[in-house]
Amino acid sequence: MAAVTLKNVIKRFGVFEIVHGANIDIDDGEFVVFVGPSGCGKSTLLRMIAGLEDISDGEIAIGGKVVNDVEAADRGIAMVFQSYALYPHMTVEQNLSFGLRMTGNPKADTERRVKRASEILRIAELMKRRPRQLSGGQRQRVAIGRAIVREPQVFLFDEPLSNLDAELRVQMRVEISRLHKELGVTMVYVTHDQTEAMTLADRIVVLNAGNIEQIGAPLDLYDDPANRFVAGFVGSPKMNFLAAKMVGADNGAAVVELVNHRGARLRKPLSDALPATGGDVVLGVRPEHFFDAGQGDCDLTLKADVAEHLGSVSYVYANSGTGGGREELIIEREASRHRANGDDLVVSIKADRSLLFDATGARIR
Amino acid sequence: MRYQNATAYRFLAPYLLIFSIFWLWPIIDSFLISFQATRTVPWRFAPTFNWGRLIGDPAFFNALKNTLLILVIQVPVMISLAIVMAVLLNSPLLKARGLFRFAFFAPVVVGEVAYSAVFRLMFNLDYGIINKLLNGIGLPSVDWFTNVTPAMAVIMMAVTWRWAGYNAIILLAGLQSIPEDVYEAATLDRVSKVKQFFYITLPLLKPIIVFCAVLSIIGTMQLFTEPFLITERGGPGGGTETLGLLLYRQGFRSLNFGYASAVAYTMAGLAIAISLVQIWLTREPK
Amino acid sequence: MTSHSRVSRSQARLGRSIALHLFLTPLALVWLFPLWMMVVFSTMPDNGIFSPDIELLPHGNFLDNVSNLQRGTNFIGAIGISVSVAVTYTFLSVMLTSMAGWALARYNFFGKGMVVAIIFGTITLPYAVVLIPQFIMVARDFKLANTWVALIVPPLFNSLGVLFMRQSFSMMPHELFDAAKVEGVKEWRIFLFVALPLARPMLAALAIILFLASWNNYLWPLLINSKPGAMTAPVALGTLIGLTKVSWGGIMAGAVMLTAPMLVVFVLLQRHFVAGIAAGAIK
Ligand SMILES: Nc1ncnc2c1ncn2[C@@H]1O[C@H](COP(=O)(O)OP(=O)(O)O)[C@@H](O)[C@H]1O
Ligand SMILES: [Mg+2]
Repeated sequence: MAAVTLKNVIKRFGVFEIVHGANIDIDDGEFVVFVGPSGCGKSTLLRMIAGLEDISDGEIAIGGKVVNDVEAADRGIAMVFQSYALYPHMTVEQNLSFGLRMTGNPKADTERRVKRASEILRIAELMKRRPRQLSGGQRQRVAIGRAIVREPQVFLFDEPLSNLDAELRVQMRVEISRLHKELGVTMVYVTHDQTEAMTLADRIVVLNAGNIEQIGAPLDLYDDPANRFVAGFVGSPKMNFLAAKMVGADNGAAVVELVNHRGARLRKPLSDALPATGGDVVLGVRPEHFFDAGQGDCDLTLKADVAEHLGSVSYVYANSGTGGGREELIIEREASRHRANGDDLVVSIKADRSLLFDATGARIR
Repeated sequence: MRYQNATAYRFLAPYLLIFSIFWLWPIIDSFLISFQATRTVPWRFAPTFNWGRLIGDPAFFNALKNTLLILVIQVPVMISLAIVMAVLLNSPLLKARGLFRFAFFAPVVVGEVAYSAVFRLMFNLDYGIINKLLNGIGLPSVDWFTNVTPAMAVIMMAVTWRWAGYNAIILLAGLQSIPEDVYEAATLDRVSKVKQFFYITLPLLKPIIVFCAVLSIIGTMQLFTEPFLITERGGPGGGTETLGLLLYRQGFRSLNFGYASAVAYTMAGLAIAISLVQIWLTREPK
Repeated sequence: MTSHSRVSRSQARLGRSIALHLFLTPLALVWLFPLWMMVVFSTMPDNGIFSPDIELLPHGNFLDNVSNLQRGTNFIGAIGISVSVAVTYTFLSVMLTSMAGWALARYNFFGKGMVVAIIFGTITLPYAVVLIPQFIMVARDFKLANTWVALIVPPLFNSLGVLFMRQSFSMMPHELFDAAKVEGVKEWRIFLFVALPLARPMLAALAIILFLASWNNYLWPLLINSKPGAMTAPVALGTLIGLTKVSWGGIMAGAVMLTAPMLVVFVLLQRHFVAGIAAGAIK
């Protein structure tokens, strides 16, 4: 078992800098998820930890030892790939044991490890099959089994569930969680799916275009995002962003006018310095933080376009009408308590259930 | 980028060694030899000795003319035939596809010596099956090998027979990579099959056709075995002498390595020119 | 759609189908004719070949023709040489070119761009260019004329296998190789136990094409191994063509012996053949 530390890690492909100085401390036994949109550098970061990509600058340490110049095989890691990367010409058993056989591990020990992995993952009855005779979920198990067999100090997962259908994905998510509890080893997990990140992680690293936007526990990111990007990325459906303008200060609180909502105003107490009066700001409100008319600090009158009923809740897609520019909002309502098709809908927002960002997207607390 | 020099060169070394000794160095060496007088001992640097002789040598121009003549007639005929074969073999209406494929593709495995022998025998003046069949339908025998034109025709027929199927294989693979829905869309637009061929198949196949043409030109340019064996060392009277044969004669009969190298480099020049034309023909439109 | 138009549509299809077969069948027969005549000639006595009658069916003289041939030149021995050379050459060439193709597909290394440029930039140069220096080097400098090495080693320069295998390896998901690397498997073992087994169909195609090329190779063996007893089968057969007192039935029997095994291989392994040729892995 081992902690993983990244210090100012930079990655360049030719002249393109893909990762701009990542600093991450992963504790021993922790489950950390790297999340971010496609192409933001998650896989590159993970592959640098694995030793599959060179580190252009900075330092990576595993278990206290700098591994920049250590071969992938000697870093005490195991990796599960998005495509599973099972050897198609070998049986499941051969897939599991291949690495150990090739590196001269004693036969009895190899057998013991393969048996243990097959028990943990309940794939014992598949041992004689080839990958093409397995379902997607079974392949995924074998791929994880191949990692377990290595008895690594750190597990690395690169979008391991993205090739599975929705139902299997949930099921495997639970399995991976269980595995983490059972083995208690450090796991680093890459995904673009924020739901996966929220449900699996002890801590989440949010990446955007090669920069770390924020590191924190799932609920901390949800409640207290550092900036507009994180606020928008974490939570589903996405947070609504309402254009606003600073119109004055009131006793240490900012008074903002929602420019697309007929001059509706919200008084928001802040601990940071207040933005300049007249400046543009953005108010973030999650879909689940709209209240019935009169129950909050500021009422908004909207036109409801479409409603989606999910059973437990409904999502209403509404717009701000013609009072200023048109703004689209998603609002969560209790099931069946909505109207759509251009009906008026009055909702209320609360100062302590909304977040304020400046024009650059930085959070104003 | 991760550099793995040691590992990479360990995999590459055996091949690169052979490649350098038996291909790369000879390419350079051949060029150098062409500037030397090689029938003196030791060889002597004489830049115009071979090249000067080359541009005034009627035998060279005869071989060049014959080679080009074969090129401009045989290659287009063969490529057209190969396109026809490929398109028809690709037709969903075709029955006994396996038999037809066998008929057209089988010559690909036949060695030059074996088929040269057969063609030589088939076109024999008095006893060849071709003349017998001509007589059978009331036509006179043709003296295939004592006149230049029919001798050339035999060479071209032989080469076409041997290589048309080879090109058809490449073209067929190209045809099969054209997505079916393109044709379905055209059919829905009431584009006739013939028009589909000219306006869809041919343009999409163009890079492959050009590729086949270049392969064929470079192959035919080096034509050696057929005039060596079928028309007996380029007969009649040098009428089917090719650059390949001239190179053989100069290099390995007269042991005139310098001059033969100059002939070889003439071929290389032609090949480079052809390749440049290929690049130009298949360039991406701007 | 009305039933009327359906009928006329299927009639049109039938018409097209008939036209197709009417055109293609004679062409196929013309194409098969030389091969057929090779078989017919190989079974006829010489006085039958050189008679005024039209003979289109095989006779029973094949074995006599073989012994006639054997009297003119040790053809059976030459076939032995050809088989051994082709097998060895094929094995070596497949190994060398797939190793090189693997290196080019998998690694970044100093000089890679130059290696690729040189290999593929010279690929369309005519073989004739290197013929003379190769001959001088092998025959005069190395004194290897009329040896097996001379037949097998120089033609190993062929770079089409490199191109073909590089393409094959780079089309494989590289995560497979990364997975093995993370597991600590050495690169040469990844090559041997992961990459090569996955490339089996491509290797088969390449091997068939290389074997055929070696089996039919004429010019180089003609130049370098011209001594009786060191000749390959095509060279041995070629020496007879053009001689005046020679058994043409024997020559044809030799041609059949050269061709028939390849035809059988072709029929059995057509898929690999076609794959190999379609990838441009010949010449
Ligand atoms: N080998 C490479 N060479 C050049 N650019 C690369 C290479 N690998 C990845 N990239 C680039 O790096 C960026 C990050 O890629 P990646 O880490 O795979 O993103 P993610 O996994 O977050 O989707 C992308 O813009 C990608 O195009
Ligand atoms: Mg990725």
